[in-house]
Amino acid sequence: MRYETVIGLEVHVELATKSKIFCSCSAHSYGAEPNTHVCPACSGMPGMLPVVNKRVVDYGMKAGLMLNCDINRITTFDKKSYYYPDLPAAYQTTQWFAPVAVNGLVEIETSKGKKGVRIKQIHMEEDAGKLVHDIREDTTHVDFNRTSVPLIEIVSQPDLSSAEEVEAYLERLKNLLRFARVAECEMAHGTMRCDVNLSVRPEGSDKLGVRTEMKNMNSVEAIKRAIEYETARHIDALENHTEILVQETRRWDDIKGKSYAMRSKETAGDYRYFPDPNVMPVQIDDEWFESIKSSLPEFPEVKQKKYEEALGLSSYDAEQITRSIALCECFEAAYAVTGNAKDAANWMISEVMSILNARQMTYDQLTLDGRALGELIKLVSDGTVGRANGKKILAAMFDDTAISPKIYAETNGMIVSNDTGLIEKTVKAAIAEAPKAVEDYKNGKEKALMAIYGKCMKELRGNCDPQVLKTILIDMINQM
Amino acid sequence: MTREILRRLELLNQLSLTEEEKESVMAFFDAREADAACLESIDTSEVERMVHVMPIMTVVREDVVSQPYSREELQRSAPETDEGYWCVPRVVE
Ligand SMILES: [Zn+2]
Repeated sequence: MRYETVIGLEVHVELATKSKIFCSCSAHSYGAEPNTHVCPACSGMPGMLPVVNKRVVDYGMKAGLMLNCDINRITTFDKKSYYYPDLPAAYQTTQWFAPVAVNGLVEIETSKGKKGVRIKQIHMEEDAGKLVHDIREDTTHVDFNRTSVPLIEIVSQPDLSSAEEVEAYLERLKNLLRFARVAECEMAHGTMRCDVNLSVRPEGSDKLGVRTEMKNMNSVEAIKRAIEYETARHIDALENHTEILVQETRRWDDIKGKSYAMRSKETAGDYRYFPDPNVMPVQIDDEWFESIKSSLPEFPEVKQKKYEEALGLSSYDAEQITRSIALCECFEAAYAVTGNAKDAANWMISEVMSILNARQMTYDQLTLDGRALGELIKLVSDGTVGRANGKKILAAMFDDTAISPKIYAETNGMIVSNDTGLIEKTVKAAIAEAPKAVEDYKNGKEKALMAIYGKCMKELRGNCDPQVLKTILIDMINQM
Repeated sequence: MTREILRRLELLNQLSLTEEEKESVMAFFDAREADAACLESIDTSEVERMVHVMPIMTVVREDVVSQPYSREELQRSAPETDEGYWCVPRVVE
């Protein structure tokens, strides 16, 4: 018999806000001392009241709109009860009855073509703290720095059917959420986490099989391996009756390449969700809604198409730049200054992106002012500054975004000189120092000229039109 | 209300009830269930969901960081702390 895998994902994404969801503690405590980003509210002290961070709702809405969801204009918070020491209040404040966004659709593309994945809902909630078990044997140590860091959970319908589709879906989510600047979505940093709900059924059947939920996967590769393992385990159980499948939560061990039963799956009833009396409903009025809607960027593929069709970029170049909203904005600003899209795209791809790579920065970390980049491109293309010096100026602009390329070139002696007298003097001295190279060149060795040319360019600190230098050099040798 | 459900609720709430308490809790739940059944008999399919008993919407705050409490202050009432952590009974084997 042939089987098909039915997969739904629950993706947790940490929102890129400055402060926590219900208190003003910093949401960024990576590397911080334990419990230094904590207050009475997020450490669960009795009597503390939560106050909703507006930006969390902004980002929840943005995420919803990027994933084609309907926005609940009155959205409410609920309590989800469970006891565990990483949750100081013994409940998580989350959304159950009226989540911020519902009924979305995300289009993915795999080797099998395009496919829509339905989004059931996106809800806003608080993260839990961290437990440390290996400091002492007799106790568990608790760090609340991460409690109440804002998350959204994106719940898909069970529309995915392979590891490849899951990878494409996660990549798409990451791309869209980064484009809207609501989240970093980096699994390695824990800012994107994913639980996989999986079941297997005979191909063509419309009845769902027994579903298991897998947790603890830290990379897309691990998720793919876990899906393949779990699919095989389910099929084996159905075909060979090796075990009886039960609805449960399983932990993925990526080193052993196996999943293990953690606990029987709680049902929604076990969490005893109820409306949180401490947080009044959030009403998203028209003004708020429209301000968020109008702040959204074009979708990456819309920009890509525009770059190709309206600006004449190659599809490769357009694809490279639309990998990040920061690259797009920098490129568009540079193009607005130079009026030459191809030139701006070349600078983006061969210079800007390679500096980012060399400095191990993500594309989204680009802070370069696109207009200043445009000024620099103009200086190089009109011959005011040499290409090599142009690259040096760009590197300096990465270090200090306030730098004006023109002023920097002037103060650092990087303006190309039209002083032919100076060039002739330099060439004369270089020729005198290299009689052998001159001889070789005269005997037909074209390459010998490059050594003298390079020396002159260095002497002139790059501030010379290459064509002018070449002409003077050849003329002078020929006159000898 | 059954003994089975009560046992599950005890477990979820980390409670251990005496026989007397169990009787009283079960009687309480039976009464509440009767209330719920009464409400459920009303057709509400045309009624919009009430989001809150009070017609009040929340106020939101701007996304600004402040840190007015020190760790020492927050942990003053803790039974045990160690290296800046709160200590709790060990939760893993
Ligand atoms: Zn706090």
